[in-house]
Amino acid sequence: MSGKKAALAAVIAGAAVAVAAPAAQAASPIVVGITSEIGTIPGKAIANGAVLAAEQINAAGGINGRPLKLVIEDDHLSTTDAIRSFQRMVRQDHAVAIVGTFVSEVALALEPWAARLHEPYLITGAAANELSEYVHKDFKAHQYIFHAYMPAAYLAQAVCDATKDTLVDQFHMKTAVVMSEDAAWTKPLDAGYDACLPKIGVKVLDNIRFAPNTSDFTPIYQKIEKLNPNVIIAGWAHVGVQPTVQWAQQKVPIALAGINAQAGSSVFWKATNGATEGVITGSTSAPGVAITPKTLPFTDAYQKKFGYSPAYSAYSTYDAVYALADALKRAKSTKALAIVHALEKTNMVGTQGRIAFQGAKSKFAHALKYGPDYVTGVAIQWQDGQQKCVWPLKLANAKVVFPSFVKLPPKS
Amino acid sequence: MLAIQILIDGFAISTLYALGALGFTLIFGVSGVLNLAHGGLMVIAAMIAWYVGTSIGLGPYVGAAAGLAVCLVAALVTYGGIVRPIENSRAVPAHERELFVLTATLLWGVMIQEALSYAFTNSPITVQPLIAGTVSILGVRTPINEIFIAAVAWAVMGALWLLVNRTRIGRRLLAASINPRALTLLGFELDQIYLFVWVIYGLLAGIAGVLLGSFLGSGSGYVPGLTGSAFTIVVLGGLGSVSGTLIAAYIVGYIETLTAYLVSPSLREVPALILLVVVIYMRPQGLLGRR
Amino acid sequence: MSTIPKSRLVALAVFLIVLALFPLGANGYILGVLTTAFYFAVFAMSWDLLFGYAGEVNFGPTFLIGLGAYGAGMSNALLGLPVPLAVVVGAIVAVAGGVALAIPALRLSGPYLGLITLVSVLLLQQAIVIFAGVTGGEIGLSVPDVLSISSAVNYEYALAFMLVSGLILFLISRSSLGMILQAAGQDQVAAAALGFNATRHKILAFAVSALFSGLAGAFLVFYLGTASVSAVVDISIGVRVIIAAVLGGRRTIIGGAIGSVFLIVAGELLRPIGQLSTFVVALIALVVIVLFPDGLLGLLPHRRGA
Repeated sequence: MSGKKAALAAVIAGAAVAVAAPAAQAASPIVVGITSEIGTIPGKAIANGAVLAAEQINAAGGINGRPLKLVIEDDHLSTTDAIRSFQRMVRQDHAVAIVGTFVSEVALALEPWAARLHEPYLITGAAANELSEYVHKDFKAHQYIFHAYMPAAYLAQAVCDATKDTLVDQFHMKTAVVMSEDAAWTKPLDAGYDACLPKIGVKVLDNIRFAPNTSDFTPIYQKIEKLNPNVIIAGWAHVGVQPTVQWAQQKVPIALAGINAQAGSSVFWKATNGATEGVITGSTSAPGVAITPKTLPFTDAYQKKFGYSPAYSAYSTYDAVYALADALKRAKSTKALAIVHALEKTNMVGTQGRIAFQGAKSKFAHALKYGPDYVTGVAIQWQDGQQKCVWPLKLANAKVVFPSFVKLPPKS
Repeated sequence: MLAIQILIDGFAISTLYALGALGFTLIFGVSGVLNLAHGGLMVIAAMIAWYVGTSIGLGPYVGAAAGLAVCLVAALVTYGGIVRPIENSRAVPAHERELFVLTATLLWGVMIQEALSYAFTNSPITVQPLIAGTVSILGVRTPINEIFIAAVAWAVMGALWLLVNRTRIGRRLLAASINPRALTLLGFELDQIYLFVWVIYGLLAGIAGVLLGSFLGSGSGYVPGLTGSAFTIVVLGGLGSVSGTLIAAYIVGYIETLTAYLVSPSLREVPALILLVVVIYMRPQGLLGRR
Repeated sequence: MSTIPKSRLVALAVFLIVLALFPLGANGYILGVLTTAFYFAVFAMSWDLLFGYAGEVNFGPTFLIGLGAYGAGMSNALLGLPVPLAVVVGAIVAVAGGVALAIPALRLSGPYLGLITLVSVLLLQQAIVIFAGVTGGEIGLSVPDVLSISSAVNYEYALAFMLVSGLILFLISRSSLGMILQAAGQDQVAAAALGFNATRHKILAFAVSALFSGLAGAFLVFYLGTASVSAVVDISIGVRVIIAAVLGGRRTIIGGAIGSVFLIVAGELLRPIGQLSTFVVALIALVVIVLFPDGLLGLLPHRRGA
């Protein structure tokens, strides 16, 4: 080759290298912040669910070639720490979005900051209605927030739907007493129960609300027993172990159903020394039940990686991170509003069901869509140390069975 | 029927309160120490009892014994590692010792809570009751465990009374609480007496922790509440007065139960708190407290 | 007032100027940490006035802080008062609470007083939960207005507030009022014999402590944008305030500021170990208290005794 051509070739080669080098370095990570209460079971589950999702997304090539990087911060159940953490992840770590927490108090405190800092924020695990009502109140300012779990109103609807298919159709139950802890999330829950239970033929005899730090439930059970309902519909999250144990120890002859959030955890059997036998609760998933084709692979991968089964918040966080990654892929941008608009168009199969968010006009703007085609959750019952799925009927792997001390209505 | 229910339920919860507050008042009465890690010791007992009994699966009796043992050790660590060094420290002026002991035990309580949360997460558990089943008392269906707890509590209190009033070492305990210096002048080793009291306290807290844990549940989040409940009772009854503690426990227990049955379960704690405020303003040293 | 050597004043001035100019160099994360630390410093300094000088063991500083915080928060959220007015309301509520607490406190001493102050926090917590309709209950109260979104501006507010409060508290402690409080705190009988109305001065001490605690609590609410039990009332916050004051050095006022900054910075540095950070901070504080009761300031070689 002549000297000139060699020189030209060298120049072209050099230019090619110069162009290629920055392109390789352009695969900088996309940062997503996770805020949770790591010392609690649901809190740790949020972190775990996110970690698993990120691993799988990165193994499949990342987001448009860029790896997903998680920054996980423990907010110690403190709103102060959570707010500082949120600000830090946005300003310091340049997170494109924040995901977390399961405590409504903390989530409510973070929402105004998501709005002020124009930061997409996906709430996974907390259930207060206010979370999505806040978005609806001032959509333009608050549209950055997505409630990637179910508002209490839908949780109530799920309980009614489950009760209809199992307790009413199979056991002919006609009366109920609602027993809820006196907390913010149960106000719309109780209102939901009061509205939907009569529609399925169950009369609400009374609404009993107890102080969240109650430890002696005897007076309450005595009062309920006098009213003689067929079932107690619960709204418990702050408490779980004590009322369940005392229900069993005192042999209260009334079925226990509704929402007993702690009973959804796999350690609840040991925590109550088996007193939870026969307790029904709404939950996100049940062991061995394939709500969607993604459910069981997730559960297996989670069990394999962490050594224990996923709590409810792991499912919602896993789905939220996938939804976020999906939105980022479609938006091809990390700008806040681009992410928001892309998230609004989400329509993907998650582990809980089909994930899609409600629009601005809905009372629960940017909350998950509820329904048999979307997400409903399941109802599980503890039988012989295991959680069995009893609803939806098409997914059920066991029939509802009650302990012998529970009095059932006669088969009419 | 309702009256009998209230009577029985109130008795059960009051006895639990008394059991929980007893050690706290004893340790103050004799050695002048307000142990703000009290709740921490009780939760240690309950969590170990649950872990050994249920999680490992050795059964409720082995679990309870393990819980008791570990709580005793923790109490002695509290005494030897924290209280005693401060009391003997020359760097702390005499009139400020109480503050330092209070602050130090407060910190120790925080450490216990965090350590338990790290080891067991803060999910609540229940200690397996030593006796299962229910029995009918005058038409009221009562768990046998409640009766067992009440029996043990009163047996322990009876034993304590016998110890203080009928044995030699008990009388020295009493004397130490009234006038420690005089006791030293008489040649008795104050250190030995204090050690003895802390051993008793450790056992009391352990028994209370395990029994309370079987009825009310337990968990790392219970630590501040149990301490708070104990000293609320003790403030009402009078610091250092065992009988005052007992009476206050039953007053609070019954007021709460009556409120829960007759008024509303969500207002359960309110009347007792109002009573507390009234007592603080009218008679701040408590019902039977000395100034 | 004792004379302070000129070199010390110059050093102090330089230090203060550096502090004020921090936002130019430091990033938002550090500013945020320090902002919280400065508000905590005021909590601790107010506590030290009450304890270190008046000898009153207040185990529930969060009673006063919480009253100020919720008073201000509710004024802004429910009554729509602008921030400065809401802060004033918060301060008034806190002072009223402080005086109400002082009355039984004066007839007691030592452990009795300590327990009652602790009980006051429990009562406040219960009241907040029971009246959840107006207080937001356990999920907290969001306030529409905040001091600022910028971390630099928030930092300057907090710094200015801390310096002004610290100065006033320090001057009080060194004034005749401070002397009387100390005398009354250490030997009430002798003070009375000298003709000082210890009671009136102690109520004054409670009121002053309440004023600054309440103001700081109110400012904290408008910094965070929310008033919640876990942020301003919980016993664990009170514990941290006491630790900060004792750790820094009691009866110095300034010790409270030093202790607070130390604790919060230590907590941040320990964040990598995640869950156990609270445990380690408590352990360090415990060791310091048992081995060095005079706190960090007491470790300085040429510190004059109180």
